[in-house]
Amino acid sequence: MTSLRVDAEVAENRDEGGANRRLRLRVPDWPGSAPGQFVMLSPGVRSSVERFDPLLPRPMAVYRVHDGCLEVLYKVTGRGTALLADARSGERVRVVGPLGKGFPESVGKCLLVGGGTGIASLYDLAARDRERSHVLLGARSQRDLMGQEDFAALGVALSIATEDGSTGSSGLVTALLERELETATNATVFACGPTPMMRASAEIAAKHGARCFVSLENPMACGIGVCQGCAAPRANGGYALVCRDGPVFDANEVLWEAMP
Amino acid sequence: MSVDTRVNWGGVALRNPVLTASGTFGYGMEFAPFFDLTRIGGIVAKSLTLEPRIGHPPARIAEVPSGMLNAIGLENVGVDAFLNEKLPALPEGVTVVASVFGTDIESYAEVCKRLAGSRVAALEVNASCPHVKSGGMEFGQNPRVLAELVRATRQAASVPVAIKLSPNVTDIAELARVCEGEGADALSLINTLQVLDVDLKTRRPRLRNTLGGLSGPAILPLALRMVWQASRAVRIPVCGIGGIQSGEDAAKFLLCGATAVQVGTANYTNPRAALDVAEGLEAFAESQGVTRLTDLIGGLETEPA
Repeated sequence: MTSLRVDAEVAENRDEGGANRRLRLRVPDWPGSAPGQFVMLSPGVRSSVERFDPLLPRPMAVYRVHDGCLEVLYKVTGRGTALLADARSGERVRVVGPLGKGFPESVGKCLLVGGGTGIASLYDLAARDRERSHVLLGARSQRDLMGQEDFAALGVALSIATEDGSTGSSGLVTALLERELETATNATVFACGPTPMMRASAEIAAKHGARCFVSLENPMACGIGVCQGCAAPRANGGYALVCRDGPVFDANEVLWEAMP
Repeated sequence: MSVDTRVNWGGVALRNPVLTASGTFGYGMEFAPFFDLTRIGGIVAKSLTLEPRIGHPPARIAEVPSGMLNAIGLENVGVDAFLNEKLPALPEGVTVVASVFGTDIESYAEVCKRLAGSRVAALEVNASCPHVKSGGMEFGQNPRVLAELVRATRQAASVPVAIKLSPNVTDIAELARVCEGEGADALSLINTLQVLDVDLKTRRPRLRNTLGGLSGPAILPLALRMVWQASRAVRIPVCGIGGIQSGEDAAKFLLCGATAVQVGTANYTNPRAALDVAEGLEAFAESQGVTRLTDLIGGLETEPA
């Protein structure tokens, strides 16, 4: 799939409760993307005044392509996402993508583990392997959960954990994974979320002899393998670039103790 | 009216003055999905060392107001893999400049020798990387060492040699004259500024390497100043680098004495940036009634009107 650079029109940029937002972009020439691929977004490129701050585009998972729009779920966590939140319908956001390598094909049961904004990387994967997927979503609190209704509408098996117990079971999403793997045979784990969550998922999967793929979220400047800023330490030495060699990696390839 | 965009940078004929800065453009083909690489003046590839090199541990980059910090550590495939794999992949008609790096003068010269006889149009000697332990900036800061480096690389090279200078110096004009005196064909400046930023939560440097290089629009006025000073000190042509995002930015460098320019960090925010700058520069010239881009070079008026 070749990548595009396009200044896409904002169809909708809506508040979904808490810090959660959903951005819908019109990208008529979108070449399609594989589950787990991402885009680089630069808000404000067509604003009336040139903007250099914040300078760098922000990497975001492709959530899905729906009703002719590319959808991205994000949280306002800093200056880049605050600027993105300001983009109104009709304004332009620069999109470079689709980028990176997505989740591989699997056989057997798929256990999708999403934490926080990492949930956004998993929707297309759940949609691809609907019958075989069990989606486990975790967040601090109910209001931090993203995309819950969309996953429910897909008809996939869905379990929720929140740290404060405001919805679903109380505790970490990795506890749900542990419980599922105790009974599952021939399962593959796909995890995206904070690094400690992915590392824990990898360890739990290894303990149960399940393969585990993780989608890493290291900061990056370019998204296309040239700035070399998103280096992730490899278990067998050297560094992989998250943007070019990932963002999805076999969890065994990652040297977790050296992850930033 | 059409604008003659051709320039000659130290013996290298360029179809237009816009190149890409080393380290920001990979080995070129990464950008092939975004524009036709033959439409810019040329590409300067990632700095090459004799052996492949693994870079610094992360965090390697950090964003700052109107700029970014990096300490990548000159991670590269090595000169042999460049010659065997990267260079042949580039379409004919792309003007390629190879950036050369070493930890001592002998290894700089050896990389130049290996590149001799290849299709590269020129070499750019990186005497200015601010974030590696040995080599780089220290070669570009000491006039005596710089002279030796220019001599050795000039002798080893079969194509024109440009020296890429550091802004982390007291007197850029003196270093420019040293390069010219030792036979350099051209200059490129500036490399990044050596900087530090702090994460207040952890009370640690934001980069694992502690020190990094600052690039982006924040450094443009400093780059203009140094290009102006260097180009007045020497006859060899200067390639201006630092924060260029638009054709207007590039035009400023030409007015300050640059014969060509390189687009760096802008390639990250816009993978079509180099072509946008080339087209923007031509459009600027046309809007000013300038028929040859060379007419802009050194046109800065400093006397009162």
